[in-house]
Amino acid sequence: MSVEIRKYDVVIVGAGLAGCAAARECQMAGLKTVVLTKVHPLRSHSGAAQGGINAALNEADTTSHEFDTVKGSDYLGDQDAIELMCQKAPETIRWLEKMGAVFSRNEDGSIAQRPFGGQSQPRACFAKDRTGLICLQTIYEQAHRAGVEFLDEWYVGDLVYDNATSKVNGVVACNLRDTQFAIFNAKVVMFATGGYGRTYKINSNAHANTGDGLSIVARHGLPLEDMEFVQFHPSGLAGSGVLMSEAARGEGGHLLNSNGERFMSKYAPEKMELASRDVVSRGIEREIMEGRGVGEKKDAVYLDVRHLGEEKIMERLPELRDLALAFLGQDMAKEPIMIRATAHYSMGGIPTDINCHVKKNPTETVTGFYAAGECACVSVHGANRLGANSVLEAVLFGRHAGENIVKDIEAIAMVDVDESSADKFMKEVDWVIATNGSERVPALRAYLQETMTENAGVFRDEARLAKQKEIIKEIRKRYQNIRIDDSSRLFNTDMQEAIELGHMIDYAAFIVEGALARKESRGAQYREDYQSRDDANFLYHTYATMDGEGNISLDKGAVSIGKFQPEARTY
Amino acid sequence: MSTTRTLRFRVFRFNAETDYLPAYKIYDLEVDEHELMLDVLDKIKWTKDGSFSYRRSCRHGICGSCAIKVNGKSIIACKDNVFELADLFETDELIIEPSRTERAVKDLIVDKKDFWSKYDAVKPYLVAEIDEHPVKENLVTPEDAELINEADQCIQCGVCYYACPAVEVNPDFIGPAALAKAARFTTDVRDDAKLDRLEIVNELGKGIWDCVKCYECATACPKGVDPIGKITTLHNQTFEEDMAEDNVATRHAVGFKHAIARHGLLDETEIVRYSEGTFGMVKHIGVGLDMMRAGKVVMPWNMHNSKNLDEVKKLIKSSSTTTFKGK
Ligand SMILES: Cc1cc2nc3c(=O)[nH]c(=O)nc-3n(C[C@H](O)[C@H](O)[C@H](O)COP(=O)(O)OP(=O)(O)OC[C@H]3O[C@@H](n4cnc5c(N)ncnc54)[C@H](O)[C@@H]3O)c2cc1C
Ligand code: SF4
Ligand code: SF4
Ligand code: FES
Repeated sequence: MSVEIRKYDVVIVGAGLAGCAAARECQMAGLKTVVLTKVHPLRSHSGAAQGGINAALNEADTTSHEFDTVKGSDYLGDQDAIELMCQKAPETIRWLEKMGAVFSRNEDGSIAQRPFGGQSQPRACFAKDRTGLICLQTIYEQAHRAGVEFLDEWYVGDLVYDNATSKVNGVVACNLRDTQFAIFNAKVVMFATGGYGRTYKINSNAHANTGDGLSIVARHGLPLEDMEFVQFHPSGLAGSGVLMSEAARGEGGHLLNSNGERFMSKYAPEKMELASRDVVSRGIEREIMEGRGVGEKKDAVYLDVRHLGEEKIMERLPELRDLALAFLGQDMAKEPIMIRATAHYSMGGIPTDINCHVKKNPTETVTGFYAAGECACVSVHGANRLGANSVLEAVLFGRHAGENIVKDIEAIAMVDVDESSADKFMKEVDWVIATNGSERVPALRAYLQETMTENAGVFRDEARLAKQKEIIKEIRKRYQNIRIDDSSRLFNTDMQEAIELGHMIDYAAFIVEGALARKESRGAQYREDYQSRDDANFLYHTYATMDGEGNISLDKGAVSIGKFQPEARTY
Repeated sequence: MSTTRTLRFRVFRFNAETDYLPAYKIYDLEVDEHELMLDVLDKIKWTKDGSFSYRRSCRHGICGSCAIKVNGKSIIACKDNVFELADLFETDELIIEPSRTERAVKDLIVDKKDFWSKYDAVKPYLVAEIDEHPVKENLVTPEDAELINEADQCIQCGVCYYACPAVEVNPDFIGPAALAKAARFTTDVRDDAKLDRLEIVNELGKGIWDCVKCYECATACPKGVDPIGKITTLHNQTFEEDMAEDNVATRHAVGFKHAIARHGLLDETEIVRYSEGTFGMVKHIGVGLDMMRAGKVVMPWNMHNSKNLDEVKKLIKSSSTTTFKGK
């Protein structure tokens, strides 16, 4: 089969906030730009963000935004990147507004802001409780207006990377409609492929969030950073894990256990429900573990917003009310609803420097390769991200990546590639379609997700993590023996799910190895056998690489410390 | 204790590459009271037949991927509860089909090119000089922001579009979703292309005058966008801008203009006159109207919602006896 080779200046993978923002910058600078995405751009998971996007619109608040972010990150966030983000945040919000974002407003017409967990000031700008939808629409619309070429329902399966020169020359993709392959040969590639929450059973993520971008990179021997840090959001709907935004607590919602107690008073007496996410999630899971859960299986706690009154609920939280109604049949205006911690956000990812250049080790970068958004680790979130900081990160660093591509591209060579670059991915797809084993993909995936939730979830320890490492090895082996039902080449979603599972297995291994080696509790990583933070031994970024057999080796990268020296983190 | 029920699902299966005709396959599944239609699709795919194909991503009604039809009702699969649907149709057997069977490519996956080309047609972006490095936002009062009236909440799922009888008979009709998108910008005080957009939606045979005001879109929309309300806004705006006179579609314009003059805006009390106006438009659709077919105009579950049912029926009746030039 012949493979088409298409030439561009810039190829961007992912059309969420980060990808669209970068694409617009490149297009406006006259670069020939294409965005590849496995779902239509407007279906990207960015659209699901509910609660808000942070910015210190009042300049005097900038330092405090920086501090809250650093403290939230449990001092693992890189302070140079955090400074850049917090300083540029107000301009970024206003830029979104100028492009058409319909933010909720104050009486005087300025952009309104609401309180959010872990923040000392009301700093989250919002569009009711559909902030992500509004931001994604806006950026996509303006990228579309600028003339960016979007190719949707194209699945990117491999990177064209020349190890010898450390240069990325394109990607290999397949059109999901007809399984035709193409090589997108370009001077510059950017990854904006989003998060990896789907590897957990209870999660708030879209089906598309299978973290493909991460393992695609890792399979070339390039490192992933801080993968052990997975954020568990305190309020996922019981059962499905679908998110009830922090806005519910931001607006004043209470968390109650089976005794009707506002139990957060035990875990965060000052901030209560608005403490940092990891703290609240652990509080919830602890209550459930100790038998004070609610519901049939006592595996949830109550979120009660009734005291806000129906009017405010309808005005500020209409989407959330709808969700609880659809998934639980519970009307939050009339009754408390059942929630529990849900895997939500990936702090770790493809390591980049502050200008979004992908790193090949803690100190050097790859040429012609950029990453931003949730798939990247720049790292502004360190060990735990603050609510409403990641939409900001995706937009701001997405745009920043675009700006840097425009700045750098003149000096980057176009290296022609040949058809053989597509071999690996084509073989992978052909194998998935043809292989005739006995393992079923959905069952294997469910096994991975269940065991990850159990052994590498909110509470971790040596024994469970070690067990999970073995389980992943087992799953990897069993994956070699899969079989799918669909042998067609037309929208073969069966094949797609199998390929995605392959990626999930790879990056799950990174999560577990990182968690095992980090014998401390920091931010989202909580080790029951090492309950405190250990700056002397672990104030570093994990850099992990994978060999051909799936074995992982670990390295360390320095944390950029700026104005704020590590201190105890209490809420 | 949660209850379960065994339900039968008749599912549209088709592969455009290999099949000449679709087939309906039967799956009997045990369903829990909290399960949504998407859970049923997943169950079929994950436990019965992995080749079963449909679009989905967010699974909570925000990405707009999973539009399908169940017993002819246009829905997003991840929002509608299975028991409620079975109860609505008073049945233990639900028929699952793509949003538009004629456009099916594989099972429930349809080619949505028509939908997106309509989207593109209305300039779906704010037209304004964009300050790339602003130090201050535009000041927009909450009242002005409210004018957009939830049009920005549209997730482009296409549920309204594939439920709209006017779209079905007139492929050129821009349809409810894209018209709502147009209104999203014509009501935005920051937009500079209001007149351009009104020009586009005012075009006879394509635009706002080809809506038969059946309210199906408003009932079907899972996000409360109320497309027909937005179309009414566009009607009003074309009158306010004196654009409506430019085409034959506005022969009732005098009446409308009176209404505008008296009330400032066209309101529901003008509905009868409005419908007559719409009737005039229907003649121009240029397609032999067969709108009662399959109860396409007012779906049975909407009967109680459609305030002007009699009007609509009258309209359909007369339109179906008239023959028009085909397109
Ligand atoms: C339910 C929910 C609510 C949230 N609420 C908030 C909030 O209130 N505030 C906040 O700050 N953050 C929030 N977040 C987090 C935030 O939304 C995300 O971190 C952010 O939007 C990620 O944007 P992105 O552009 O990096 O990725 P995404 O928007 O996830 O986009 C990823 C893109 O990559 C594409 N892609 C992936 N793999 C491939 C492949 N193999 N081939 C081709 N294309 C591919 C996808 O199609 C998609 O276009 C929330 C997250 C969730 C899950
Ligand atoms: S009211 Fe009826 S005809 Fe008009 S756009 Fe809505 S569904 Fe279509
Ligand atoms: S108006 Fe409603 S039904 Fe129509 S596309 Fe938008 S969200 Fe979907
Ligand atoms: S899966 Fe996103 S709207 Fe249904």
